[in-house]
Amino acid sequence: MSGAADFAKQVEALRPQLLRFARSQLRNDAWAEDAVSETLLAALEKPASFAGRSQLKTWLVAVLKHKVVDQLRRHTREATLLTTDDGEDLDESLFESHGGHWREAPADWGNPEASFGQRQFFEVLEACMDHLPPAQGRVFMMREWLELGTDEICKELQITATNLWVLLHRARLRLRECLQQRWFNTHTTKPA
Amino acid sequence: MKIRRTCRDVTRLVFESQDRPLKPLETLSLRLHWLACSGCLRFRRQQQLMQQAMGRWRQYRDQG
Repeated sequence: MSGAADFAKQVEALRPQLLRFARSQLRNDAWAEDAVSETLLAALEKPASFAGRSQLKTWLVAVLKHKVVDQLRRHTREATLLTTDDGEDLDESLFESHGGHWREAPADWGNPEASFGQRQFFEVLEACMDHLPPAQGRVFMMREWLELGTDEICKELQITATNLWVLLHRARLRLRECLQQRWFNTHTTKPA
Repeated sequence: MKIRRTCRDVTRLVFESQDRPLKPLETLSLRLHWLACSGCLRFRRQQQLMQQAMGRWRQYRDQG
């Protein structure tokens, strides 16, 4: 097989994964398609510059992040609609309404650092992120995956810093709850 | 600004500390709360672990 055909194959093979990343961030199939297509087009411009598949993937993901931000910019108005609050406040179920104490004290998660490298853990983590309500998921991914600053996120989505903190707070509480149920309740992480 | 905080309030501040530098009085009120509240101390540990996990996940997703 020629080098060019081989390269085309590699690019194509990585497409589903990139689409999944873009969808989880943008929550819109058409925008995700656009972002991924633009990314792959950029790679086709310079087939000679990649030494191997892993280098190609690293490069593609880096470019994809920019393309995702471009899409967010282009669709700011539609995106803003999503940031109206979604999902109820976990605070109510976690804390006593009077006095604000924990209803049930947080569990000891032990020393799970080693398990953080396991594929199984990443799958649970990604499933938990996918289950966040759309607005919470969007801002959480902008912060954690795109690593945008809070100012930038507020500007892109035209929301206030307070709105953003509320959304992030809810997303993180939900993620914590999900990890508790789907990982820490079933995995022993105490040191041997 | 008050120095005594509820667990609910402390939880919010702990998460916010990932996004903005806390004011000295906020930090002080957290420290004082943790001295007396083992639940919030455990929560802080959970928050630190989650942050670590997200860092590992970024690596896994972007290069793995």
